[in-house]
Order: sequence, then C-alpha cells, then structure tokens
Amino acid sequence: MSEAFSHLELPAGIVERARAGDLAAFEHIYRLFERPAYTLAYRMLNDAEAAREVLHDAMLKVFQRIDQYRNDAPFWGWLRQITLNEALMRLRREHRFEPEPDADLLADTAAPPWVRADSLALERALGQLPALTRSVLWMYHVEGYSHPEIAELVGKTTSFSKSQVARGTARLRDLLSPATEHVSCRMQTSLAN
Amino acid sequence: MSNADFPGELNRDELNPGDARPLRDALRALPALAPATSAWPQLAARLAEQRDGANVVAIGDRAVPARRRWFVPLALAAALVLAAVALQLRRPAPQSAQPVAAATVAPDRASSNANAANSTKGTNVQESARGQLAALQQRSQALERWLHETARSATPLPGQDLAAAAEIEDMIGLVDVQLNAAPRDAELPLWGRRVALLEDLTALRYSSYSVAESGTAARLMPANWTN
Repeated sequence: MSEAFSHLELPAGIVERARAGDLAAFEHIYRLFERPAYTLAYRMLNDAEAAREVLHDAMLKVFQRIDQYRNDAPFWGWLRQITLNEALMRLRREHRFEPEPDADLLADTAAPPWVRADSLALERALGQLPALTRSVLWMYHVEGYSHPEIAELVGKTTSFSKSQVARGTARLRDLLSPATEHVSCRMQTSLAN
Repeated sequence: MSNADFPGELNRDELNPGDARPLRDALRALPALAPATSAWPQLAARLAEQRDGANVVAIGDRAVPARRRWFVPLALAAALVLAAVALQLRRPAPQSAQPVAAATVAPDRASSNANAANSTKGTNVQESARGQLAALQQRSQALERWLHETARSATPLPGQDLAAAAEIEDMIGLVDVQLNAAPRDAELPLWGRRVALLEDLTALRYSSYSVAESGTAARLMPANWTN
C-alpha cells in the first residue's frame, strides 16, 4: 500500500454524492487526489503531458466506476492502482518498457550522494533513468510495493524487480556524484571569493 | 535468485539501511507535482455528458460508446464464427474415410498418394487452427455473456479487486485493438489471450456474484468455465 499519501481520506458522504451525479463532489475528489495521482504518473513517465493524460484517464475511470466502490477500501489505494496501470500501459504502448542493459552493480561503500543532493538534482537524475527502472524504483521506495507485487504489476520476476532497484540505485549514485561534487566545488569557490 | 545476486540491491528493511533509507527518504521528500493546467475542466465536461445520458467512455481523444466497445465487435465475430461452425457441421467428414481409401491404392500411386496425404495434413492443420479459433471465440462469447448477465447482480468489488478488474478490462481493450489490426494467421494467440483475460475477470466477478446470489451463481456460470 502507498505510504506517501495514505493519510488522504475522503470526507464523509462524498462518495454518495458522487454516485448521485453531483459534479461538485467529483471535483472535490479530483482536487484532493490530483497531486498524488499526477506525481505518481509523472515520476513513472517523466513527461508532463503524458502524466496529465494519465491523470485524466485514471480519474475518469474511477468516476465511471464510483458505483462499484466500497467505502471500506482506501480510496487512494484504488486510484493509485488505476493510475499505476494506466502509466504502465502507456509505457508498454510506447515501447518504453525495456530494461536498461546490464550495469555495474558493485556496491559503493562511499556515503550515498542523495544525502547531500538537493531535490532538483535528484529530480533531474531520476528523470535520466530508463522509464522502467525509474518506475520500479519509485514503486518500491515511495509507494511501498514489495518486489513480488512489483513483479506482478510489470509482468516480470521478483528478481527482475530487485535488479531494477539495484540498477536504479547505482545509476542514481553515478548521476548524482559528479554533480554534487561540482556544486560543492562551486560553493567552496564562491565562499572563498 | 537471492539478494546475494544483486550486491547493489538496497533492501528496504534489511540491507545497508544507511544507504537505502536516505534514498527512500530523499525520494519521498521530493515535492508533489501538479499539472500545468488542470485536467478537471475536461473531466467535468465528460462527466456532464455521461450524466446527460450520452453513456460514452472517453479516454484521451478517443470516444467510444461504452457497451459497443466490447460487445458489438464481439457479437459480430461470434455470429460469424457460429455461422462458420454451423456450415462446417453440415458437411460430411471426409477425413474418417480417407485412411481406408489410402490402404487400398496400388504401390505405383504411392507418390501422388503422399502428396495427397501432405495436402490433407496441411488441410488438417488449417482446420485444426480454425477449430481452435472457433472454440476460443465461442468461449470468449460465453464468458462475456455471463459477465454481462451477472453484472447487475454482483455486489460491489472491493478496491483491490476493482482495480484488478479495471486493469483486465484495459488489457482486453488492448487485445481488441490488436485483433483489429492483426492478420488472420496471428489471431489465434490473441484470442487465447482474450479468453484468458476474460477468465480472470470472470473469476473476480464470480467471487462477488456468488456472495450476492449464492444459490444461483453456479447455474449462470459459463458451462465450460473451470477454475
């Protein structure tokens, strides 16, 4: 289950109002979950327009099936699953579902660069990962899926999920290390001046 | 394969927490994003259309009548298949007589007989493929009919099952798109995939339906459904 947005809950009665066709209720739900759903889609696709389309399609599906939703299930868990599936389908359709070639997976014992990296640098590095690697890394670390769950979602093996997390981590380390050092050098230079 | 095969693997709970946890925390600390322009106006328009009775499923730029998307092409395909099967059943079956005739021919006719046998074999393969295709299409039709008939009686699915059902429906939609574009000789695996997906959907729905209509679920269940 998602941990990042698991605290989000629907106000009492909103689903009933939506079932009755109340557009304001739908809008309330949309506003509440727009950012979580869009963020998930964007993190997987790294494409603002595509992420917006996924957001639109996922929300529409949820709204069309609101009659079938049971209140005892976490709403974000449901919407997140649909958003995830929409994004994965898109990656498949666009043939972006290929894993990256084998990378050097040797463990690096140095301090992880993301400890020092700012969020912009991390976002940029994340955006440079292959789509599938980035998606698996995000599902694992942020959405809290287990390797077997990810394997089922992407139609691969548990080992594949593990390897993608390892590769993504190693790649992030590579991408962030020079930049962090560069920024650090610049900061030192500016301080010296 | 174990974690040991991936020395770079950073297990959330066990391995190298000094490394994995900061990455998890750093990723989770990234700001939530919002689209540059809200998707709500488009959604509101679609929802208003539906509320006004248009009953249209709109995904992106596509707008397909909800029921027709699946049922009309399938019904047409099923009708064609049934017609083909009916014609096939009316024909006399020549294969059963053929081995007897072959056993009585003279040796000097063996070559032409072999060609005939090859030809027959090829025909049999084609007929076998056609038979499989027809069987898959009939099964697909039966499953879809059952899903249609029980849709109203089923209890609402729990969130996880509902999401799974939505994914399966998406996948079926994708198979349908592929079927429309596929050459005839590539249809068999696609129909197989379609039937497998419908069986998954049936399994999900059946558990829900059997709760609502415990006494009659088995009666309405597709006759050839095994799970």
